[in-house]
Amino acid sequence: MDNGIVIMMIGISLLLGAIALIGVMWAIKNGQFDDKDKMMSSVLDDGEDALNEAAEKERRKKEYRTKK
Amino acid sequence: MSKLECTHCQLDFDEEVMIKDEEHYFCCTGCQGVFHLLSDSGLDGFYDKLGSKKLSAPTHTFEESSSFDTPGFYEQFVRKNDEDFEEVSLVIEGIHCSACVWLNEKALHKLEGVIDVSISYANNKAKITWADNIIKLSSIIEMIRSIGYNAYPYDPSVQEEKANKERKDFYLRIVVALFGSMNIMWIAIAQYAGYFSGMDREMKTILNVGEWLLATPVLFYSGWVFFKGAYFGIKNKVVNMDILVATGASLTYIYSIYITILQEGEAYFDSVAMIITFVLLGKFLEVLSKKSAADTLDVVSRHVPNEVNILRNEMLERVSVHEVYVGDVIEIKPGEKVALDGEVIQGEGYFDEASLSGESHPIFKKEHDKIISGTICIDSLFRYKVARDFSHSTLSNLVSMLENAMSKKPRIEMLANRISGHFSTLILFLAIITFSIWWFWPHSFDRSFMVGISVIVIACPCALALATPVATLIGLGLGGKRGILFKEASQLETMAKTEILILDKTGTLTEGKPKVIKTETFEGFDASLLLALCASSLHPISQAVYAYAKTQYEKYETYTLLSSKQVPSRGIAAVYEGKKVLGGNAQFMRENGIDVQVGSEYSLFFFAVEDQLMACFELRDKPKEGVDELLQICADNKIKVVMLTGDHKASAQSLADELGIEEYYSDLSPEDKADFVQEHNDKVSVMVGDGVNDVLALAHANIGIAMGSGSDISIDVSDVVLLNDSIKSLKEAFLISKRTFRLVKQNLAISLVYNMITIPLAMAGFVIPLIAAASMSLSSLLVVGNSMRIKYKWNR
Repeated sequence: MDNGIVIMMIGISLLLGAIALIGVMWAIKNGQFDDKDKMMSSVLDDGEDALNEAAEKERRKKEYRTKK
Repeated sequence: MSKLECTHCQLDFDEEVMIKDEEHYFCCTGCQGVFHLLSDSGLDGFYDKLGSKKLSAPTHTFEESSSFDTPGFYEQFVRKNDEDFEEVSLVIEGIHCSACVWLNEKALHKLEGVIDVSISYANNKAKITWADNIIKLSSIIEMIRSIGYNAYPYDPSVQEEKANKERKDFYLRIVVALFGSMNIMWIAIAQYAGYFSGMDREMKTILNVGEWLLATPVLFYSGWVFFKGAYFGIKNKVVNMDILVATGASLTYIYSIYITILQEGEAYFDSVAMIITFVLLGKFLEVLSKKSAADTLDVVSRHVPNEVNILRNEMLERVSVHEVYVGDVIEIKPGEKVALDGEVIQGEGYFDEASLSGESHPIFKKEHDKIISGTICIDSLFRYKVARDFSHSTLSNLVSMLENAMSKKPRIEMLANRISGHFSTLILFLAIITFSIWWFWPHSFDRSFMVGISVIVIACPCALALATPVATLIGLGLGGKRGILFKEASQLETMAKTEILILDKTGTLTEGKPKVIKTETFEGFDASLLLALCASSLHPISQAVYAYAKTQYEKYETYTLLSSKQVPSRGIAAVYEGKKVLGGNAQFMRENGIDVQVGSEYSLFFFAVEDQLMACFELRDKPKEGVDELLQICADNKIKVVMLTGDHKASAQSLADELGIEEYYSDLSPEDKADFVQEHNDKVSVMVGDGVNDVLALAHANIGIAMGSGSDISIDVSDVVLLNDSIKSLKEAFLISKRTFRLVKQNLAISLVYNMITIPLAMAGFVIPLIAAASMSLSSLLVVGNSMRIKYKWNR
């Protein structure tokens, strides 16, 4: 087998793995896995709601800060 | 009568008592109100999520919510977060399921001004962030109450936050370590295959570089804890496990880089990643098991009241306890806890002092009587003059004494720590010897260095590091399922070495509440009248008779008594349909001209109508079940058993004789109990108690065990909590700790035997990478497998 291909494959898989790892680490730091039960049951009421809420939260934060 | 389900709380009720509202039925106006509120605000999706679960009906007796907006409250519970918004931690009462959490979050999100709400499923604790210039905390709490829940604040302790942060930090490191070592394994498979089937040098180097990339973050990020530990070890001149792990892993790492660059020999990057991952896993398990037991309990209430109503210029004001001075007049309502010591100037009624003195009977107080902080006012409104300011009052004195005691708590060094210290020294020493012998016995530097390192690598601290945490974690889990909460894993080991067991009497060995054990009724006895009479008093004896009579006599009517009057330490007198109704002790009967016979060592309650004795009840504080078996286990393990009580000698003696406890001490104050525990600190002591009067003693003992129904402070300071209050679980706690410790010892033996076989091989230079890797995994697996036996054998 050509060594170049092996280098390329190892390199790409490490890169992809690293991206996934950084994603997981970000989620942990962000507190997404803090409450195990909540995480599991939030799968059941999946929907737009959570996204809307997050957007609303950001909007409010901005709004209230300007009011201060 | 048909039963119908309430639309909101889904409990069953008779149709005729329910409120009909269009097609819905409600059990009370509370449920109805909540239902309309939810459908008006578009939150009726709650009922779909709820399914068939039952709720408790909403209640409406709340303290004034405006007290949440006082500066004193803000100072204690509200913090500013980084973005300059207010933040508070609340415990929400009445949460049954995930639907309740959903509802609370949604309802609060709808409030203008609330930024973020996150409620934990596990312990019903909520963290709320809001902008104070738009909404006040009182309106947020009003909202929670209006949808049928209640909330009260708690002070998230610094310790709790720190433990959470530590756990998260470890979690991140574990994720990186697992990612690194798992991927290294894939590459290592190719390398081992190549080792046997032949692989050209260039390919080997490519794979080595790949492993190098993966091992680097594992060693330096995940392994950082070991470098830190090694640094502290060297600073304190102690050889610990961290030094062995850090030197072993980094030497192997450097050697492997050297191999990769030189392009000859075998690299050991996989060993580097594996050592770090396994040992880190062991440490992580330990961190994981350090859970605050209070966290697991549903309700965390405030121990010390932080605000009081004081009378200034004829007006009632709510102020922080720190702003109250000697001479101020405080008003206290029924059900409130006293915050400061003082003297009654107006009002009379009963106080519950059980939490302080262990005395189970309420104490009657009138004008000029002293009241003590920490006691609870039961039935009437009082005004009292403050005699000591907050920092000198009994309750806060006790709290500061506790802090003192906690810092002096004796700790026993764990077996694994002791062994690993010696082990690490020995291995480092052997590695140096091996290297020198090979080096002087003419061999190349490369070869001797490699053999020296292989000694460290194969000495594999993995199994040793996993020996204790895996076993204790399984022990903790087993205890948890049986309602025994250990706050720290190391306590299992300490408890297994117990030499003296100290038991409190009231509430620990006994039920803590009197129960009817014998009844005698005479002609004309009317159970309904007895029930009505007993219901009018909060005294534990009449409450016990009431509870007993209610289960005993199923058919009764509700009578209304006239002019019911309580006579302190005597009984209750009332009038019903012109007849005089009396209930109380023998003295009370004699004073009212009824002759009664007293022939019992326990409390007696007499019931009479119009000078005619109707019934007589014998009550006693019964000992809990299972004491015999506990004493048997203590005798088998040569544990000395001592009973301590604040009660008088006669009752202590009769109970001790009945249970077969040889050593007991009576008439002790909380300080006496603590002194007794301290005097026995040369032995490993276990103290079991429940009330505030045991708190100091609990804090001084090696292991303090609290009853789950005991006071919050005693749960806080203790190391083990028995959730179901039974002596049986105390016995089980002993058995679990014994068994766990035995397996810990076995695990340590397994890992040491392993090392005794492999280290000589390594020193002789026979170790190839394959053996090193295989032996490492195999010994760890053996230890983990052996630990599983704790659960497997638990059939008693």
